[in-house]
Amino acid sequence: MSQNIVVIGGGPGGYAAAFYAADLGMNVTLVDLEKNPGGVCLYRGCIPSKALLHVAKLINEAKDAKEWGVDFGEPQIDIDKLRGFKNKVVNKLTGGLGILSKQRKINFVQGRAKFISSDMIEVSKSDSSTEQIRFDKAIIATGSVIATIPALQIDSPRLLNSTTALDLPAIPKSLLVVGGGYIGLELGSVYAALGTKVSVVEFMDRLLPGADQDLVSHLQKRISASFDKIMLQSKVVEMKEVADGLTVKIENKDKQIEEQHYDYVLMSIGRKPQTAGLGLENTRVQVNERGWVIADNTLKTNDDNIYAIGDIVGEPMLAHKASHEGRVAVDAISGKKVVFEPLAIPAVVFTDPEIAWAGITENQANAKGIKFELAKFPWAASGRATTLDRSDGLTKLIIDPETERILGIGICGPGAGELIAEGVLAIEMGATVKDLALTIHPHPTLSETLMEAAELFYGHSSHIYKPAKH
Amino acid sequence: MKDFKIPELGENISSATVIKVLVKAGDTIELDQPVLELETDKATIEVPSDVSGKIIEIKIKDGDVVTIGQVIFSVEFTEVIAQNAVSASAGTTPVIEPVAELNAGSVDVPQKTATVPTEQDFLLPELGENITTATIIKILVAVGGTVEIDQSVLELETDKATIEVPSTVTGRVTEVLVNEGDVIPVGAVVFKVSANVEAQVQVSAALQTTASVVQTPIITEEKVETFTPVNNVPAESPKVILVDNQPPVLLNAAPAAPSVRRLAREIGVDVNQVKGSGPGGRILLDDVKAYSKALHQQRNEMQHIRVEQHQEPLPDFTKFGEVESQPMSNIRYKTAEHLSYAWHTIPHVTQFDKADITALEEFRKNYAKTAEKQGVKLTVTAILVKIIASALKKFPQFNASVDMQTKEIIYKKYFNIGIAVDTEFGLIVPVIKNAEKLNVIDISKEINQLAERARTKKASIADMQGGCFTITNLGGIGGTAFTPIINAPEVAILGISKGNIEPVYINGKFEPRTMLPLSLSYDHRVIDGADGIRFLRWVIDAIENPMKFIIEG
Repeated sequence: MSQNIVVIGGGPGGYAAAFYAADLGMNVTLVDLEKNPGGVCLYRGCIPSKALLHVAKLINEAKDAKEWGVDFGEPQIDIDKLRGFKNKVVNKLTGGLGILSKQRKINFVQGRAKFISSDMIEVSKSDSSTEQIRFDKAIIATGSVIATIPALQIDSPRLLNSTTALDLPAIPKSLLVVGGGYIGLELGSVYAALGTKVSVVEFMDRLLPGADQDLVSHLQKRISASFDKIMLQSKVVEMKEVADGLTVKIENKDKQIEEQHYDYVLMSIGRKPQTAGLGLENTRVQVNERGWVIADNTLKTNDDNIYAIGDIVGEPMLAHKASHEGRVAVDAISGKKVVFEPLAIPAVVFTDPEIAWAGITENQANAKGIKFELAKFPWAASGRATTLDRSDGLTKLIIDPETERILGIGICGPGAGELIAEGVLAIEMGATVKDLALTIHPHPTLSETLMEAAELFYGHSSHIYKPAKH
Repeated sequence: MKDFKIPELGENISSATVIKVLVKAGDTIELDQPVLELETDKATIEVPSDVSGKIIEIKIKDGDVVTIGQVIFSVEFTEVIAQNAVSASAGTTPVIEPVAELNAGSVDVPQKTATVPTEQDFLLPELGENITTATIIKILVAVGGTVEIDQSVLELETDKATIEVPSTVTGRVTEVLVNEGDVIPVGAVVFKVSANVEAQVQVSAALQTTASVVQTPIITEEKVETFTPVNNVPAESPKVILVDNQPPVLLNAAPAAPSVRRLAREIGVDVNQVKGSGPGGRILLDDVKAYSKALHQQRNEMQHIRVEQHQEPLPDFTKFGEVESQPMSNIRYKTAEHLSYAWHTIPHVTQFDKADITALEEFRKNYAKTAEKQGVKLTVTAILVKIIASALKKFPQFNASVDMQTKEIIYKKYFNIGIAVDTEFGLIVPVIKNAEKLNVIDISKEINQLAERARTKKASIADMQGGCFTITNLGGIGGTAFTPIINAPEVAILGISKGNIEPVYINGKFEPRTMLPLSLSYDHRVIDGADGIRFLRWVIDAIENPMKFIIEG
């Protein structure tokens, strides 16, 4: 008899788990608040933001084209139509998931699920009816919600978060982005391209604190030109709504407070686990002191019947991590001996230039005392980058000096998000620098920068003269 | 069986890279059929076959570097043709020895039959991705035995590795539907259990099954060394460490592809323990498989303490003439196992000497009729049983066993003497219990009864157990001396050869005396050389001076 599986949450973790479980012949119920699967990623995250970033890129390139002898003039932006394009993308993809779910005969229930025991959930539906569903195994995939700073949380339509910012309420004259992480920088880039004067305030001494500084510096240089102001080691201490916007008090590292006026403010300080109202107290599921559900390396929680995947089990909160976890959890439920053990989880920041990395970063290697050697290939030496008029890029390899195994890869430049996949494969396969150097890469492409970085390690990159030190 | 080896490829070419293997296992190939595409320093060439027949297994794959003379595959039912100029002469030794093939020919798929409600089936579980069948190497359960969840019930050889399969059911085994050597598919019913668990000791599979002729593929010594498993040492496994909001870093993670890591986990191998043979120590699929085999082999040795696992592959005897294979009898197999164990674990020393039995023989002749009246034949063996029982009292280190694990010597306060008996179905050793309390006539009677029971297959296990020392008398057939193997866990054995009349120099002249050759093998771990000869001299003295024996013994 096949197992009854309930998956709570239809994001990229939840639907991947539900679809895979159905493919393995399990009876699957998928519960989500929306009409179709998709979750934050498709409705309010990765996908809509990428649709807008694509437009931003087009605007910027059109601007750059003046230098190449093509002048399109000032862009005329129809914000309702732009919003419509974004919504069309979202609807197409989520609708597609709905069909894929039906084709797999998954019992999709729209509503809010709550555990009432270790083998039963109750779903409250929008028509205020409830349904109880018994399960053999459940997978919690409820993800995360936007984190807030209560002291700064004022009730104003001008205070945006990542969800409302994607709805493009207006093209503000000025926007303050609170938080220099990837969400703030991506959305800030969108608005900057649309013509908004964007400023960023970040508490740390640098943008994108997780990424290596040499990757970030190219981005920082470019957004310093396209953004209005980047305030590091600074924080917002007060926010007030006024007639034509918001006044914000910003304290810098010397404790000096400056008052600024912005049309809109976007809070993007992070995300936190979504466990509220799940009824975990009716199960043996345990959460840690920061609210993440505790799961072992098979994604099983403290309750033998309940697994948890995705953002709710902790960092990195990435869709591709969640979907991989979802498949591992289903494999574990089906009795296979599997654990979640990736050697690399790629991280991509879809700014312009993009930043992507996988495996060990230079920061991590230094922090952990891991011995490494670097091979850095600047895109100024790349033919393809030059044809794009984009020499502001870098491809770097972090290498184990003893085995010459590739431990980490970092890329900055247009298309870095696509390029990193090769690096992830190299790390997962235990590839050595030699392997990368000896693999023929197509010319002229940006992917050559990976090969050339590897050749540089041996001192024979064709396009950089740098004699070998060893 | 005939091997196809890489032929000479040209001057100064010692190796080549395999671009493409043009045939696969199971193919029937003909002479001169191209089988490999090779790339040498000089050119890409197609290599024709110099054997014909059905390919059993291909030992290389695309991309491998092969050396001249390396065995690429074996064919069965080949017509051996005259070796022509291109076939290999001398060559480097292949890393992996030719492997005795499992008989994958007959696929015996047990059908699922209607089950009684109280019964539960154990089905062959999923063994890993793309594994649909497996060959049973050993069945670790027997009808009547009980199984528990997670208890190992099968040893399997799959395409990927040798694995032990744990039970998912619990109960008493009522029926085993498969045999060793069978190839069974995933989902096949392996055995049935009844839910009513009776407290019953599970009979060891080794005793239950007749000697199987399945040969486990052998890894050469070199390979085994490379992959020596160190599974007893809890090595530091990589921990997922979170640095800020970064993806986890697996520190010291083994360089193995995701598919390799997944396979390793499926077959119960800690990938971090595997030594990678690829560049930068990369762990290849083959490394995991080899490690698994080595691990399996080591476990086998530890479980059964059988050292003879390292068998060399047998040549194809049919090349030399007609042969006939017969299964070993159970006694023969147990004897082989037991004696191999004794031979490998006990450092043997054999001490030779002779006893003058002229007087004894005279007495035996005179006493024969008296003995006959009591229904027995007075034998040298019976007399020696009595003497040895006394000798064991004098030399307690000869009535002992060694426990190397606890570093103890166990001294026995009873005196049971085993006598090796040659029967038509093999060698067995019935034991005369408490020999020190019996007189020689009683001992003779006992020997007769035990030997009779043994020859008529009526001897009980109890008849064979509890021995302290064994006597083996081959003198009835002949021989001047031999080196008997100690019947472990005993520590000594006395071999008797044929008594002969010899000239012995006594009181200034040679006299014809009947001399009996004795061969005493002892365990040098507990018995020193001086004690060995002291013991034997004491026994000889007792034979030659019975009055002294009566007084002192």
